[in-house]
Amino acid sequence: MARVRLTLIGLAAAFVGSTGLASAAAFKCPQVGGEFVFGQEANVNSLDQPASNTISTRNIAMNIFETLMTRDENNNPITDLAESYAESPDRLTYTFKLRQGVKFHNGKPMTSADVLASFDRYNKVGLERGMFKNVASWDAPDGSSFVIHMKQPQPTFIEQISSFSVPIVIVPAEFKDDPAMQLHVVGTGPWQLVEFTPGSQVKLKRYDGYAPNTKYEERTGFGGYKQACFDTVVFRIVTEPGARVAGLKTGELQGVEDLPTKSLEELKKDKNVTLVPLPNWWIQIALPSISAPPTDNLLVRKAIQAALDMDEIMDAATDGNYKLNVGFQYPNQPSYTDAGKETYNIKDPAKAKAYLAQAGYKGEPIVLLTNKDYTSMYNAALVMAEQLKAIGMKAELKVVDWPTSVNIMTKNEPGWNFFFTGYGTQPALGALATMQFFTPPNANYKPAEGKDDPDLIKAWDDMNNLPDPKDRQAAFVRMQTLILDKVYAIPFGSLTKVQGVRANVQGYKSFRIPRMSNVWFAK
Amino acid sequence: MSSAIDGGAAQLELDAEIPDTHVHPAWATLKRLFAHRLFLSGLGLFGIILLAAALAPWIAPVDPTRLAMRFKFRPPGAEFAFGTDNFGRSLWSRVIWGAQLSVIIGLSVVALNAVFGTLIGALAGYFKPLDNALMRVNDALMAFPAILLAIGITAVLGPSTLDAILALAIVYIPRTARIVRSSVIVLREMEYVQAAVAAGAGHWRILRRHILPNAMAPLIVQLSFLFAYAVLSEATLSFLGLGAVPPTPTWGNIMAEGRQYMIEAPWIITIPGIALMITVMGLNLLGDGLRDVLDPRLRIQQ
Amino acid sequence: MSLVLRRVLGALPVLLIVSLITFGMMRLIPGDPSSIIGGISATPEQLQQIRNDLGLDEPFTVQLLRWYGGLLHGNLGRSILMGQDVVAVTLQRLPVTLALSAYALVITLVLGLASGILAALRQNTWVDQAAMMVAMLGISLPNFFLGLLMIIFFAVKLGWLPTGGYIAFTDDPIGWLRTSTMPAISLALLQVGLLARITRSTMLEVLRQDYIRTARAKGLPHRLVVMKHALSNALIPITTVVGIIVSLLVSGSVVTETLFSIPGMGQLLTQAVLNRDYPMVQGGLFLVTAFLVLINIGVDVCYSLLDPRVRHE
Repeated sequence: MARVRLTLIGLAAAFVGSTGLASAAAFKCPQVGGEFVFGQEANVNSLDQPASNTISTRNIAMNIFETLMTRDENNNPITDLAESYAESPDRLTYTFKLRQGVKFHNGKPMTSADVLASFDRYNKVGLERGMFKNVASWDAPDGSSFVIHMKQPQPTFIEQISSFSVPIVIVPAEFKDDPAMQLHVVGTGPWQLVEFTPGSQVKLKRYDGYAPNTKYEERTGFGGYKQACFDTVVFRIVTEPGARVAGLKTGELQGVEDLPTKSLEELKKDKNVTLVPLPNWWIQIALPSISAPPTDNLLVRKAIQAALDMDEIMDAATDGNYKLNVGFQYPNQPSYTDAGKETYNIKDPAKAKAYLAQAGYKGEPIVLLTNKDYTSMYNAALVMAEQLKAIGMKAELKVVDWPTSVNIMTKNEPGWNFFFTGYGTQPALGALATMQFFTPPNANYKPAEGKDDPDLIKAWDDMNNLPDPKDRQAAFVRMQTLILDKVYAIPFGSLTKVQGVRANVQGYKSFRIPRMSNVWFAK
Repeated sequence: MSSAIDGGAAQLELDAEIPDTHVHPAWATLKRLFAHRLFLSGLGLFGIILLAAALAPWIAPVDPTRLAMRFKFRPPGAEFAFGTDNFGRSLWSRVIWGAQLSVIIGLSVVALNAVFGTLIGALAGYFKPLDNALMRVNDALMAFPAILLAIGITAVLGPSTLDAILALAIVYIPRTARIVRSSVIVLREMEYVQAAVAAGAGHWRILRRHILPNAMAPLIVQLSFLFAYAVLSEATLSFLGLGAVPPTPTWGNIMAEGRQYMIEAPWIITIPGIALMITVMGLNLLGDGLRDVLDPRLRIQQ
Repeated sequence: MSLVLRRVLGALPVLLIVSLITFGMMRLIPGDPSSIIGGISATPEQLQQIRNDLGLDEPFTVQLLRWYGGLLHGNLGRSILMGQDVVAVTLQRLPVTLALSAYALVITLVLGLASGILAALRQNTWVDQAAMMVAMLGISLPNFFLGLLMIIFFAVKLGWLPTGGYIAFTDDPIGWLRTSTMPAISLALLQVGLLARITRSTMLEVLRQDYIRTARAKGLPHRLVVMKHALSNALIPITTVVGIIVSLLVSGSVVTETLFSIPGMGQLLTQAVLNRDYPMVQGGLFLVTAFLVLINIGVDVCYSLLDPRVRHE
């Protein structure tokens, strides 16, 4: 009798353990309570995530909303609101089984009708609705299933719908017709909106009805097992770097998004502050226009590539907070490759001058289009201009403001040879997202209409359509090598952003957004 | 920001009485100017800046845009008279060349105002039918907060020295026009002008010979204040990131770039600021002196 | 009052022209809000999508008429940068600028009038020279330079006052005083100098008048003479200057608010222009200009009340 009972108990325990329902290993907040005030550098104008691509919106909204699929700490796609998904063998059908027991902040349980409505809205106002170009239709056969039917296979589909740049957040079906930028802020995440004061701050509070993802034991990436340990979180907009430093030092701010390099020396010595560097925030980059002379000449571009000293450029751009980086992915990512490293950081003026002679360079001006709004872009251009002048090139700066420079570059107005910018979200998303910049229409290197590099297009097609992921990666390697050999881009290196928290804040790990879950105040 | 101009205009409106109709013989006026205390002190201060601006290629031979990272943040001293900035550029060079740019911009704005402000003001003051229309547009332009209009215009035209000049000129021509118009309106009713009209003199002749020469005095006074204003506003514009294109140095953008380093390298902000102060003060003193000598009606009691 | 009515009607064409200029100006500026909404990582396709969503590629007249239509309904559109209605944002931000301007105006009036009167009474003594020197300094010193110096000295070195930011008066009066004092001083600087100089010269003019001499000859106490006769006559032209000063304050607030990170109207409009926030610039500039026009009408009315000559025009 006792043995049977023990066995039954044993079976019961095993059953419970396998579903993770009472798993002792899942994260529990060591301390609960308090208000965490986070100093954010940019103004947030909307929490309607599908309609916005800005970092400031993403920082906050991704603590409020959740998606079917997202990325883990190493950028792999994982399920979040979906319990599981299945891809049909012919890759034309994706079936998502939804997690049970998930509720919206207004108390309503989430069903497939809400998922359907959210996807419908995204298809209308979502900034990346282009990812649905191969979708035939979607439907919700029952309350906990959502099925997407494709017109033709898109091997990168899962990668795209798990993207975090403009995520397909799941909201209640009744908000399906909210116009762009005016979405009702009701999500499923561990934090719910209390008040949004544009230009000033956003206040969130713990959502007590939150159902964490029991497939995981810890927070990972944008998903995993999330718990809100603070009572409230305030995202305060503090645009002045000096004010952010001051706020962190006095404790008025318990966390800060970005600290200027000048302040790091003294902050390191402050026992009440913990610095949290975020490496690989973005790739500092300059993009040539191959339709504007003299950068239409490959030899001239190779000369420029050979002349540059990346350490000097990155040091000026980031005040020392950088890492040299070959290519368009970071070493911690699975798709990283150092193909093309022989083109990087050559800093050989003699070689550069030889290329120039070969090219028949006659002193034509090289215009570097940059802007004052992003100091790193301005400084990088300044130093690059000096390095080019040192090898005898007539480098000039064209400094405008950010919207104007984007305008000039997108409309390809004449009068510039290099456009300065940063690749932030795309490399973090993966090779596919980054390489998209080099494809028609509007490829970054400005080829003439219809004259895109055919090898590049072939590599891009392979990256998208080859069924075996290993072959897709090989296609990426080919593409990166081509871009660097033909100097269709000059990546300078990666910039490290430094965040900071008060010393009593535990569990805060730097990531692409400030994650407010699984963070607590130590006693 | 436009205090001197608007203040001067207010002063003029206060004393909207009969201006002195004598045109001082030039040499007598000059003698009185050079005996005037305020004028001399103003000339002295502004003269230093003018001289520095003119002699820039000789006294500041180092290229103000030349980077030298290993020399960054040197304080003023033996090696670098004014110190260096975050790129190791010589502040001495940048401030001196900035002086040249400030003087050029000031002169250009004044010239544009002298020509177009007088033209518009005279037309409005003399020809009644034009007055209403011109003044409506004038009022509209003046209703804008000056700096926002300047920001808007520079944003439209794109940042560059020329566009800053145009923007500042456009913002202030309405005010100059108003001043000229006030004078012209009063002068138009003068007996000797009426006599000329009765004698059959053409409009342009009357304007040229009788009205404009007597309207000059207040205009000249205002133009010197305008110079001061132009230098100050250009500094404000470039401080906000508009106006002359970096890395070309202007006092405003040197201060803007130096702002983030104001604790560890305060000389980057202080020195251009002092230069700015000297220039503007010198010009204001010049204006005071000119006003006292050229137009006794506007004289501040000595 | 027919005067007020006439002024208001006269202001309407001005406002029309102002709105046309603003609209045209914003459309002429290269670049548009799509690059701000899209963020730094936006692809050209995304940018085009945003442009289509916002109707930015539609013809100029269509956009203009749509805006005027909205204006007639009291709807000035939605700020792209702030994510709120333009009117709502203006109502939030304008009081901040006004509070700061009021503080600066008080400083201006007190210091400007006092030093101007004092200098006139003690004409040509060291008091006069000193006052006029300070006034000269006031109109020569760039206000952002003074602001920077004050920040370095009072905020960083001494730590008495914060380096920037803003606390509303309704939240915490002491906090408001602390965050507004340095900005108000740097705003007032220019105006103090101006007012002092004009007050001095006006007072001197008035003091010269015969009837003052007569009053003095009659043996009335000096102070009584000054206060009663001189001041009331001097008030008229000074009122004119106050109107100018108010618009200068609003204009000067642009730089001051940017420097001290004060969420006022000036800083908002600057950011709006730089970020191509069309609705905010058009609506905001229109509202601010209308407000200034109203102030000037108010000044004209005061002027006419004070000066009997004008009233009977």
